[in-house]
Amino acid sequence: MTVTSTQTAQRRTGTVVSFVLMLLGALTMVLPFLWMLSTSLKQSKLVFEFPPKWIPDPPDFANYAEVWDVAPLATGLMNSAIVTITVVLVGTLSSTMAAFAFAKLDFPHKRLLFVALLATMMVPGVVLIIPQFLAFAELGWIDTLLPLIVPAMLGNITMIFFLRQYMFGLSDELMDAAKLDGAGFLRIYWSIFLPLCKPAIAANVIIVFMGTWNDYMGPLIFTNSPENSTVQLVIASLSSYYAEQTDFPIVMAASIIAVLPVVLLFAGAQRYFVDSFAISGIK
Amino acid sequence: MSSVQRASDMRRHEKAWGWVFVAPITLQILLFCVAPVAIAIVAAFTNWNVIKGTYDFVGIDNFVEFLTDKKFWVASANTLFMLLPIPFYLVLAVLFAIGCHRNTPGSKLFRVLFFLPYISSIVALVVMWKWLFNYEYGLINQTLRAWFGIQGPNWLGDPAWIKFTIVLMIVWKMIGISSIYILAALKNIPGTYYEAARLDGAGPIRSFFSITLPLLTPVLFFLVVIGLIGSLQTFVEVQLFTTDGGRNYSAATITYYVWQKAFVSNEIGLASSVAFFFGLVILAVTLFQFRLSRRWVYEGE
Repeated sequence: MTVTSTQTAQRRTGTVVSFVLMLLGALTMVLPFLWMLSTSLKQSKLVFEFPPKWIPDPPDFANYAEVWDVAPLATGLMNSAIVTITVVLVGTLSSTMAAFAFAKLDFPHKRLLFVALLATMMVPGVVLIIPQFLAFAELGWIDTLLPLIVPAMLGNITMIFFLRQYMFGLSDELMDAAKLDGAGFLRIYWSIFLPLCKPAIAANVIIVFMGTWNDYMGPLIFTNSPENSTVQLVIASLSSYYAEQTDFPIVMAASIIAVLPVVLLFAGAQRYFVDSFAISGIK
Repeated sequence: MSSVQRASDMRRHEKAWGWVFVAPITLQILLFCVAPVAIAIVAAFTNWNVIKGTYDFVGIDNFVEFLTDKKFWVASANTLFMLLPIPFYLVLAVLFAIGCHRNTPGSKLFRVLFFLPYISSIVALVVMWKWLFNYEYGLINQTLRAWFGIQGPNWLGDPAWIKFTIVLMIVWKMIGISSIYILAALKNIPGTYYEAARLDGAGPIRSFFSITLPLLTPVLFFLVVIGLIGSLQTFVEVQLFTTDGGRNYSAATITYYVWQKAFVSNEIGLASSVAFFFGLVILAVTLFQFRLSRRWVYEGE
């Protein structure tokens, strides 16, 4: 009797302690974002007030209107959208095709090729940047969006692994039945396996979207003119320019606009998102 | 048409379609990974000039040059410093995952909030941190002043603090994502283990160290490997937080050094030799990790 009641008491204390700690952690995560939002709604001269004020008085949306004029933000968003949408659409197609072939088809040198894919994941990015730059320079692709689009369009190795694993779990009988019905492999891929993989594809699409939209290193190295800047580059240069003049509200407004698409996507598809990380990481 | 004929037709199609389906990714690894690695190895031994498009082989001159460059060694030390976030975010992620696992009220919402920094772009995070940690007007130093009457450090300008600020940001960013993996592993631990331990009189602390932690080693190993490969190549944070790698090169890492040599001062050959050398180091570290893992990673019965 007393043992169990001490245990319940212990458990309750544990829950309270863990709640308080997790709440503190969550505040640490979210307060910087709220501060960014708060700053973006202040007039420039009000950001230096002491002590700091969390609720802007009066809230001023002018920064969100003004930011489009002080930086090529619209161009940046447009370029990011072009890159991200192409990479997501075409890249998903290439990746799912490869995953299907690795999981369900038999063709010469399949194992060798798969091991080669694994091996390329071991190549550190720092080794690839310079020769890729040289190759793109040779092709005349520097300062275009092509280096950001073309390689990624051909597929994503992580996505291939993940979907291959997923397709292994789907029964071979589906395949045999379709073959008996006289369906070709393209049909089998497109009308049977692709629809069955929808949840797994959704999870991966979100990850690829996020990675592409947020990419900074690629655009930094492969593009340089404002017309070809992605949104991340636009924000970075706006920040280094305006932060000197301490016009923080406008920079914060621009940042919020840049973060918004990913946050909205995340909010909408949170379940897929969290699960996908968990599944993709553990064999 | 005989069914034997049909089956053999089908097998031929299967081979052909197999190759068609993997053609894009094969093209990708050949063009954007295998070929670049080959170019990288060659370039490391040349004095490649991008503007003129000329190069001569210079033997090991590049390697001698960077190995005798003081900045390279400063960058190496800083690169090691960037491994510091890993133990911190892993410990915090384990704690957070345990909190979620025991269904602390609010867990679902907390998990979403812990993900916010991870899904936001580094550019936005750095912009935000530059403002938060601004020496005079930043929220952090203003709050320190308002609540405790003390002057906070110059987080971004002081060579002694900038690296620390970057480490802090990486810890902050990585807790959420790491905890997701750990939580998945926690859910795989059978409840009967804890039941048995409790009957044997083990308290919660004892169960954690004898059951939970050993069973988490595979996922921790995965996170350490990924974390090491990523942290050793820390670059974007440095490039965004500093101009020129910070005062006295205080925040520059090896990848930053490579980038600067290649794309700021146009020494492609030299930069390639550093990248090549460093690539081998990373590979060696990764392989060593796998060897070492036998000592501490639980592999099941």
